[in-house]
Amino acid sequence: MKTSGSAWQRLAAAARHSPERNDDAAPFGFSTRIAALALAVEQPVEGVRVNPFWWRALGAALALMIVSIAANYSSISLTADGDLDPFDPVAEVLTTS
Amino acid sequence: MSDDVEAAFDLAACLDRVRARDQIAARELVEHLHPLVIRIVRAHLPRRVAEEDLAQEVFMKVFTRLGQFQGAVPFPHWVSRIAVTTCIDHLRAQKRRPEFRWADLSENEADMLDAVLTSENDVSVNDALAARELVAKLLEQLKPADRLVIQMLDLEQKTLLEISQLTGWSTSLIKVRAFRARRKLQKLFEQLQKKERS
Repeated sequence: MKTSGSAWQRLAAAARHSPERNDDAAPFGFSTRIAALALAVEQPVEGVRVNPFWWRALGAALALMIVSIAANYSSISLTADGDLDPFDPVAEVLTTS
Repeated sequence: MSDDVEAAFDLAACLDRVRARDQIAARELVEHLHPLVIRIVRAHLPRRVAEEDLAQEVFMKVFTRLGQFQGAVPFPHWVSRIAVTTCIDHLRAQKRRPEFRWADLSENEADMLDAVLTSENDVSVNDALAARELVAKLLEQLKPADRLVIQMLDLEQKTLLEISQLTGWSTSLIKVRAFRARRKLQKLFEQLQKKERS
């Protein structure tokens, strides 16, 4: 009885003689389908590129908001205290009626 | 792929066009890579999975991960590693048969197995197809990565270096997997011999 290792080697050697398939070319329409599917998918890399821009825009908007609040702080605080503008005609009509 | 075809196809330019989302370039890339991918897929195709479906999955992964390709290895090697990993994932997902049985073999396969178990002579080349089918059934008993290594080494007769380039595994790991696969096959043959005698 032969050793099992050589049995495998002889079997593998016999299998190597089986004819190889030669139809390696892509079937009709395959490449078109794959190209369409692949390019229809959103590239994740582009999302990563856009994100830093979004964060920068958000930071700039926040900075602008803080500057504008600081610049107009006095008028905002007056409105918050409930003081009326002495030259506001609408408020004058409302208080007299 | 012959060297002439390789030289005629400007892979770098094609990849640049694909990155710019050129559909014609994407089609050309698929056609260029298809022989490489389909050979890997056919050699490691799990049961009940169509080779075209598996090839499509490989190509979709290639296109999705194209941004990650840094050029550290040649592009065909990078693609073949994706193909190998995809095949291994599918082989892992399929349920392995619990036991290899004589009853599962066709008449030709059983004759072939009997011949290699009992005779010292080389098997006839005329029985190559039965041998190929029998080998495929035996390989199903191995772990997917071990099966892939033994297939490349003993059937495709690739060198350790070639397998390393195609899979990304070290040569030591490939040797370990080949040793493990051959030992498992040896046990399998011993069991079959006992059953045949009984």
